[in-house]
Amino acid sequence: MTEIYINGKLYKVSLPEDTPLLWVIREHIGLTGTKFGCGKGICGACTVLLEEEPTRSCITPLKAVKGRRITTIEGIPADHPVKRAWVELNVPQCGYCQPGQIVEAYALLKKNPRASREEIVKTMSSHLCRCGTYPRILRAILRAQGMMGVKT
Amino acid sequence: MIDRRDFIKLTGLSLALVLTEGGFKIIKATQEEIINPVLWANITKDNHLVLLINKSEMGQGVWTGLAMLVADELDFPWERVRVRSAPAGPQYIDRKLSMQLTGGSTSVRNMYDFLRQLGATMREMLINYASEEWKVPREKLKAQEGYVFGDGKRASYGELWEGAVKLPILHKVKLKEPSKFKYIGKNIPRIDAREKVDGSAIFGIDVRLKDMVYAVVERPPAFGCKLKGFDPSRAKQVEGAIDVFAISTGVALCGKDFYSAQKGRESLKVEWTESPIKDFNDQKLARYYLNALNRAGAVARHNGNPEDVISKAKVKVESVYLLPYLYHATMEPMACVADVRKDRCVVYAPIQSQTWALKTVSRITGLDEKDVEIYTTYLGGGFGRKANVEFVREAVEISKKLGRPVKLIYTREDDVKSGWYRPMNATKFVGALDEKGRVVAIHHKIAVPAVFKWAGMFSKIDRAAVEGIENMPYSVPNLRVEFVRIDLPIPVWFWRSVGSSHNAFTLETFINRLAKAGGRDPVELRLELLSKNPRARRVVEVCAEKSGWGKGSHRGRDMGLAYHFSFGSHVAQCAEVSLDKKTGKIRVHKVVCVIDLGPTVVHPDLVVSQMESAIVMGLSASLKERVSFSEGGPQSLNFDTYPLLTMEETPEIEVHIVKGQGPMGGVGEPGLPPIAPAVANALLWGYGIEVNQLPMTPDYVKTLL
Repeated sequence: MTEIYINGKLYKVSLPEDTPLLWVIREHIGLTGTKFGCGKGICGACTVLLEEEPTRSCITPLKAVKGRRITTIEGIPADHPVKRAWVELNVPQCGYCQPGQIVEAYALLKKNPRASREEIVKTMSSHLCRCGTYPRILRAILRAQGMMGVKT
Repeated sequence: MIDRRDFIKLTGLSLALVLTEGGFKIIKATQEEIINPVLWANITKDNHLVLLINKSEMGQGVWTGLAMLVADELDFPWERVRVRSAPAGPQYIDRKLSMQLTGGSTSVRNMYDFLRQLGATMREMLINYASEEWKVPREKLKAQEGYVFGDGKRASYGELWEGAVKLPILHKVKLKEPSKFKYIGKNIPRIDAREKVDGSAIFGIDVRLKDMVYAVVERPPAFGCKLKGFDPSRAKQVEGAIDVFAISTGVALCGKDFYSAQKGRESLKVEWTESPIKDFNDQKLARYYLNALNRAGAVARHNGNPEDVISKAKVKVESVYLLPYLYHATMEPMACVADVRKDRCVVYAPIQSQTWALKTVSRITGLDEKDVEIYTTYLGGGFGRKANVEFVREAVEISKKLGRPVKLIYTREDDVKSGWYRPMNATKFVGALDEKGRVVAIHHKIAVPAVFKWAGMFSKIDRAAVEGIENMPYSVPNLRVEFVRIDLPIPVWFWRSVGSSHNAFTLETFINRLAKAGGRDPVELRLELLSKNPRARRVVEVCAEKSGWGKGSHRGRDMGLAYHFSFGSHVAQCAEVSLDKKTGKIRVHKVVCVIDLGPTVVHPDLVVSQMESAIVMGLSASLKERVSFSEGGPQSLNFDTYPLLTMEETPEIEVHIVKGQGPMGGVGEPGLPPIAPAVANALLWGYGIEVNQLPMTPDYVKTLL
């Protein structure tokens, strides 16, 4: 039995310890906002927060997160500036990569609210979006900074 | 994707080619539109409009664009509109395509009149019902913002709906004057944005059914291999494994969750027959395609006497191009949930082609179509790939064998191995100029697999192969277009903008080479070639003006412009490019894009986002993408070897919409074709480099310097 905390809730799962966290979250906890994209930690669709750190859940085994706090897309408040800016700018197209992008952006602004445009671009370039929503993601993060009252 | 030319007109009746299990057959397209509102819409008691939309939402914003049409005519508050996906069935076909399919950039064009008529019909029926109920003449009643009112009475549409739908269905209701549009032409919020931001949007891979198990399929390492034998004994012993068996495309491994299904693969022993193309790698493929250009092609177009004019011309230009297989790389890999029972079957899938799925499922299960329910989820990217329903067939085969619901998931590697690529192709262009640098002749020949043939629609001249070339808007007095069909067992399919994705590159870079050879400005030459096409001229002119074409220095950046007509829309793009000569690395700084999709633009911001999307995808392909081959199979199996464009490589994009006269054009695809040639044209202009191959990787570009 492995204990993990997801979005503030304690879950006990009985699974092989090498099971990737992604599949634990999606299939056993039942939160499907976190997506499977590549299985190699390249595309970023599976990004969750492990404590404060954006983490690729598709390559993170269950045993590495025992007793630790995980935040998924569902755990970020709906009224958070990042989510609001995303909706206001019609950022998502197909939407599949967006949970990973939003979790990454949320973590970035939490750690560094004054992140410069260059820092944002650099961080977000670790995520792939086939629909090409990059220009809008960038604008949304800048707008979220504005909503948070950050002067960059 | 499929375009309007799929239809043949005979004796005034609209007939359509439809793919069936026995090949394709001709059916009569429905002529008279009879819109039964209850099939398409419901207004709940608490006054929400729920629409069943027959087009797949794969990011293009079609649910927003189509729902707007109904809500506008109905006069209904946007925040109370809900969209659900229409199930697969003959009642939900797009009557202009004669099938239920999302492709060819046709959705808004084809559904525009129908859905406005639906909204208007609903509005009039609500007023009629209120008039009868309240005994108030209908002239005294108004329907606005979800309420019918007048003469001191007021009721919500939701309260009236149940009675209204019992009235006789109205036909040909008068539509709004465009000046009265409430939503059409305005940038209202995307209807799917919120659930895609909070993580609740359900894609094919997210569907969960009670007692469902999971499956993956082990596939052959190369194309054309068949299953020879396999030993499932060890794979079956994996914790959580349920069963291992052969299906039509490989070996299915089923487990209680994805991980236990996937884990069995490590210990699964499979033997495949030898691939008929086992000696094909990148070099062999290149030779094979280039050699095919020596064969005579089927003639798609012949005007004047190009051979003669070319042989006598003083200035001749010749180019040979080689463009790669491309992978769709939808962020959601193929995934499908199927539940096959004795007397019925339910499927949830992210698909673009409900009609093909329905026929396929019915064939595999032996069930009547009416006993098959297919529900389309959100698509985590489509780009044409999810019009192919082989993955649905696999899920149904597996569920049928297991006798329980199953979710089939492709890993990224499975997704690449499954094929269905944008075809590779080799093209030869020969052109001739007169003494004034005017283009007097062009001879084009392309060697390429036939996409429509792979989709079951054979024709001597594959339409995808020569699209954008045989119908080029340029006036060239002597023109020959030839098609040499490549038949290799590497499956090819519709990839966003289809034939135009490669033909625009070859044609538009060739035009610039002709301009250079004739000492002409490439924009001025295009305008001359487009003298008979004012809409095309206008987008080129606006693009040149907005990008500052010919206005001197652009901070050390070079500019390239390209124009293409596809899916009913004219698009010109100008790219500002710089090149690091030491590394061969290209940087695209800015793209100015101009589109003319006709006089009606339903949602301008969705058009802008589709241009951004197509430019990023097209740039990704032109700078980075190629499916690499070894021993008859793909080698670039994941994003480490098949890289996509990232945010830091994305240029600033500026979009202008020009409203020309004529029929409405498409939006999802036409933004893609011009970007690759625009970038290559900047390199020709700035560095004299002729790009004959894609992608323009640093290694390749260095060889040209």
